[in-house]
Amino acid sequence: MKAQKKSENSILNFLSSVKLAITIFIVLAVTSIIGTLIPQGESLQFYLERYGPNLFNIIKLLHLNDTYHSWWYLSLLGLFSLNLLVCISRRLPYTIELLKRDSLKVEPNKLERMPLKAKWTINSLIDKEREGSIVNALERMAGRVKRKRSISMEGENASSTLYLIEKGKLSYLGLYVLHFSLLIIFIGAIIGNYFGFGGSIMIGEGETADFIYRTGDNHRIPLGFSVRCDDFDIQFYDTGAPKLFKSHVTIIENDKEVMSHEILVNSPLTYKGVRFYQASYQPIPIITLKVTGSNGWEKEFSMPTFKKVPVDKEGFEMGIMRYLPKVHGVPAVRLWIGAADDDIEPQAIWILKGRDSEFTLKDREYRVSLENIENKYLTGLQVKKDPGVPLVYLGCLGLIVGIMVVFWMPHKKIWLLIERKNGVTDVLLAGQTNKNKGGFKKGFEEVRGAIEGVIERRKVS
Amino acid sequence: MISSSTLLGWSTFIYLGASVLYMMHWIFKLRPMGMIGTWTTALGIGVQTGGLVLRWIESYQMGYGHAPLSNLYESLVFFSWTTAITYLFMEFKTRNKIIGAFAMPFAAASMAYASFNPNVRDAIEPLIPALQSNWLLAHVITCFIGYAAFAVACGLGIMYLLKNIARDSEGRGLFAMLPNLRSLDELMHQTIIFGFLWLSVGIITGAVWANQAWGTYWSWDPKETWSLITWFVYAVALHARLVRGWKGTKIAYISIVGFCSVIFTYFGVNFLLSGLHSYGAQ
Repeated sequence: MKAQKKSENSILNFLSSVKLAITIFIVLAVTSIIGTLIPQGESLQFYLERYGPNLFNIIKLLHLNDTYHSWWYLSLLGLFSLNLLVCISRRLPYTIELLKRDSLKVEPNKLERMPLKAKWTINSLIDKEREGSIVNALERMAGRVKRKRSISMEGENASSTLYLIEKGKLSYLGLYVLHFSLLIIFIGAIIGNYFGFGGSIMIGEGETADFIYRTGDNHRIPLGFSVRCDDFDIQFYDTGAPKLFKSHVTIIENDKEVMSHEILVNSPLTYKGVRFYQASYQPIPIITLKVTGSNGWEKEFSMPTFKKVPVDKEGFEMGIMRYLPKVHGVPAVRLWIGAADDDIEPQAIWILKGRDSEFTLKDREYRVSLENIENKYLTGLQVKKDPGVPLVYLGCLGLIVGIMVVFWMPHKKIWLLIERKNGVTDVLLAGQTNKNKGGFKKGFEEVRGAIEGVIERRKVS
Repeated sequence: MISSSTLLGWSTFIYLGASVLYMMHWIFKLRPMGMIGTWTTALGIGVQTGGLVLRWIESYQMGYGHAPLSNLYESLVFFSWTTAITYLFMEFKTRNKIIGAFAMPFAAASMAYASFNPNVRDAIEPLIPALQSNWLLAHVITCFIGYAAFAVACGLGIMYLLKNIARDSEGRGLFAMLPNLRSLDELMHQTIIFGFLWLSVGIITGAVWANQAWGTYWSWDPKETWSLITWFVYAVALHARLVRGWKGTKIAYISIVGFCSVIFTYFGVNFLLSGLHSYGAQ
């Protein structure tokens, strides 16, 4: 970098330094620990009770209850992105310069000074055929010669040709692929944050929902279509551990069934960019009661807990306040009975299965029996829309490709210069690489051996 | 018929034996011990591979049918296995057996911990729904290749520091036997690069899997965060070396700190912190 440029813009220099990058890595690594030690996303009350008023104030000030979305952590990530962008952008012109540089236009005397080189002198001006056999030996060991250049020289019959085998020149771009990929991941994350949403919904079997509750504030977000849970299934292993949760759902749009699909953990359903994930479930006991009136009236009612059911004909309501799966070995429910008009006291009775109970209301006697209890399920679906995901994945792919290119893809060059001059022919072989020098040297020695073989054999014959 | 736990139990002792042999090769300069060490390591890998394959088959016989990569015990076995293979590959490449005295103890310790710690249950368990995914394989395998490489890099870092202490003793003493500083440094660097690539792939496969299972590719779960912290530590090592020209001692320290971070990501998060990965503690 030019000294003059350096003094011109010190902020830009600060932002473009790798020293800053290393500092940010360390600061991010250290500060990231905080959020793994302090539980995240709890209520403020929780922190006050657990950490006391002094630490609580620090937690509140620095948003340590949501460390990774706090102003200072996001600023660090912002600085990281800026550093990345400036660092990489400022390097780019040098790389472009490097890419423009033509390895074929190298000065022959520069080749002579390379650490990896070999030189032979043949005491005659070799013909085209013999030159061809030397080039063949090179190609056999190192790959095809794609470019060559004749160098004009002074003197009679003097001629010179430079052959070049070059591989991996574009590997200089790996650095940019790698680092821009990180920025692409950030952009994907930001897009997901602004244009996506996440929430959840519990749907009972046979029921339909056309909205979800947003994560965090439980705000209702309309989906624009409906989801019906047709069936929920849960299976267990012999050990009692859950084996499978499965919801069969149907998407309904404009009163038409658009698609039916099974949602399993690890196998979500996607519709119009919205994905539905199997997240949880809740069993809902449906209780069937039989009510018999002293007047001979009789009817069965099926209901979940906490739902008032009108018994119209008889002029009262009932609902189950409590359900206990096992009381003295049998299921039991507490039934609430009240009237729609408030002129009578509501009452509550226990009913055990197999043992009927009775109550009296408006001078009539009723007998209630607990007929059946059946578990229905609510399926808990996690709902997510994240338009940033493709970009994030693209960035991830670029990151991996970038790392591989940066560290393992060398820029390799092998030159062969054949120079006829003053009745002798000079053959010069030179090689250069920027990575894996040991491996390249081995390959170079093989090329040298092959060319030497061709030259020596001709000498003998 | 022989059971997988018998084979895996044997591999614990074989790796312990290999570590001792490599140390004898180094400390007492007994060349044949090194040779036997190499064959012992190869035998250990063979026995352990047999154990892993058998465990896989047994899980099918029990009606669960999943790769042996689903709980802490199995991950420890797999970590030991990848470490031994990574080391043996490195020995083949560098022809240096002293590294074995620093790398194989990691493989042996991991197996010993898996076998003898009563808190690590070695029963084959069925997969809970969250783990029923092919991403499990991709995620665990890639992460543990990375961890194994970092274990070896940590061993190389320790060797570098020991050798550095002995620099003045001019070819005498225990540490002078170690490979020269320059090749240790280069080897450490290459191993860190290798580990860094696999850790990156491991984090990414984890993110893709999380998106597949929960709809979020990143949720700042303690395990995720710690893997990122580890990633930053090694990113420091790579940038400091490539751009700032740090070498040797400094990189050796980062390599050791990095592996401590790996260990914490692996165990600490399971035992000390809670989160999505808590089933790994079973």
